[in-house]
Amino acid sequence: MKVVLQDLVKKYPASDSIAVNHVDLTIADSELIVFLGPSGCGKTTTMRMIAGLETPDGGKIFIGERDVTYVAPKDRRVAMVFQNFSMYPSMTVYENIAFPLQALKRSKAEIDQLVREAAELVGVSALLKRGVRQVSGGEAQRVSLARAMVRRPEVFLMDEPLSSLDAKLRVQMRTEIKRLHQETRSTMVFVTHDQEEAMTLGDRIVVMSQGKVQQVGTPHEVFFDPYNLFVATFVGTPGMNLFDGVIQQSGDTLCVDLQGYMQPIPERFRATLNAKTPTPVKWGIRPEGIRFVDATDPNSLAGQIEIIESLGSRQLVFVRSGDKLFSVIVDSLHPVRQGENCHLHFDETRIHLFEAQNGRSLTQRG
Amino acid sequence: MQPSLGQRLIAYTIFFILGVLVLVPLAAGVITAFKPRIIWVSSPPTWIFSPTLENFEFVLIQRNNLLHLRNSLIIASGSVTIALILGVPAAYALARFRFRGSKGLLQWLISLRMIPPIVVALPFYILFQTFDLRNTHIGMMMAYLTFLIPLVIWMMRGYFAEIPSAMEECAMVEGYSRLGALRKVVLPVVLPGIIATALLNFMFAWNEYFLALILGGRDTSTLPAAAATYVGRAQVEWGNLFAINLIIMTPVIILTLILRRQLVKGLSLGAVD
Repeated sequence: MKVVLQDLVKKYPASDSIAVNHVDLTIADSELIVFLGPSGCGKTTTMRMIAGLETPDGGKIFIGERDVTYVAPKDRRVAMVFQNFSMYPSMTVYENIAFPLQALKRSKAEIDQLVREAAELVGVSALLKRGVRQVSGGEAQRVSLARAMVRRPEVFLMDEPLSSLDAKLRVQMRTEIKRLHQETRSTMVFVTHDQEEAMTLGDRIVVMSQGKVQQVGTPHEVFFDPYNLFVATFVGTPGMNLFDGVIQQSGDTLCVDLQGYMQPIPERFRATLNAKTPTPVKWGIRPEGIRFVDATDPNSLAGQIEIIESLGSRQLVFVRSGDKLFSVIVDSLHPVRQGENCHLHFDETRIHLFEAQNGRSLTQRG
Repeated sequence: MQPSLGQRLIAYTIFFILGVLVLVPLAAGVITAFKPRIIWVSSPPTWIFSPTLENFEFVLIQRNNLLHLRNSLIIASGSVTIALILGVPAAYALARFRFRGSKGLLQWLISLRMIPPIVVALPFYILFQTFDLRNTHIGMMMAYLTFLIPLVIWMMRGYFAEIPSAMEECAMVEGYSRLGALRKVVLPVVLPGIIATALLNFMFAWNEYFLALILGGRDTSTLPAAAATYVGRAQVEWGNLFAINLIIMTPVIILTLILRRQLVKGLSLGAVD
């Protein structure tokens, strides 16, 4: 079922500060969309408005063609999985999963069948008779997934459901949620502050900050083509290398003066920049966009290796060049040694330019 | 960590001393309640005697304390019931919703608990006189509600606050109204808390003496107020006093024993288990 948010506004109660600031978004049918952002960015509030747990101060919410802006949560045909709550403590696993069906006044036999199906799907069939004290945290979270699914909701809402689980279980449950989505093909909204979770799960990611949508795009787009500085710095670990620079004409070519190092501007930026020179900008490149090259390479920057951190299959190398510290990610097999001199080459296609004033990307979009 | 022998010895010694301090006067009282009048205050105390129920017979039947027992039961259980009916929803609202003045309201409620009954006794007396509430059951209940409702709200608010609001929100998304969610998922969880609250409130209303003395009358006098009549200026009717004390204590002890498990669960609700 399609979900449409139209100019959604929510103020914090008892103050004038805005939690959700004019959000417009269309979530396609059977899409898995992830709201990503730091805490307090409005992602959970937006989700709670879709669930009906918060009433918007402005704007409209549609599920399918139905305007649900002021519909009670129980009548929205959505399901929600919560961050800090998984099982009703006064009920067994079976009673938990049956609970949403009892509200629908289904027959006992039908409830039994649906409960067993849902339990099967999330792998808790063996636990049906257990109470809340007899299941682990991961199992309890599975139960809450089953309870969410059993009603065949039109939209699944998940508010950081994995954040209370340990790292290994989190990765495992992540895969399960992805599988569940593929099997049920229902629309899912997933809220997280964990970019890795967002990247691996989302068909599309909605990056939010300070109540505003910063960018909506596929994980690939958000990572490789950030719309602004916030997205560029929030997505990706370690973060993008970013330096202040000024755009200047150097002979025939347009360059960024990075205070001591002239970096030619790739062709694709030139159309936007010609008129505005000289402009203060932020020049950025992800650690993955930098390579080590021989000193003979004409477009290289000399530096010295300061710190090496192993990331397993890859290694993170910090290179000092003048007053700048670059982080570089290379294959672990690449030989580097601390204190060694080296030369860096920047992959032209991986370079980003942002307006220094408002952080907007200077990449042209059609 | 297993406590050492020395530590345990100290702990048991303290428990023993405390036990003696509590139990010896109690035991002396209980024994006296069964003594015939002639040896109530004999010196040295008589330890061996044939126990008699004459003190109980005297206070219950001749002094009409069955009526006072009835009054105590009506007023205590009535006021606790009303306090729960009014206080539990209020506690829920104060735990879950922030509204204009909600914080001030809570502070005002706790301040009510700090008022010594004597402060409100005179205004109450005048009000009750004006509205013909003196010497009525309903009047006594209203007077007690001043103290019971804040206690209910403060205890229950704590229990509700311990429960993640996601619990009833989850039920609300899953097809229940807020009231339905409260009844189906929140109430079972806070039930031990409600029982503990009810018991503590019952003990307050049951044992209350001062307001009962001022605002009660011949028809509504409760057991504690009646018990005081055995302490006279000239003499204390020790046997009768202890007999009625035993009658006052017994229902609370029985209730506590019956509800012991719920009570412990309720008082430790939210504590790490």
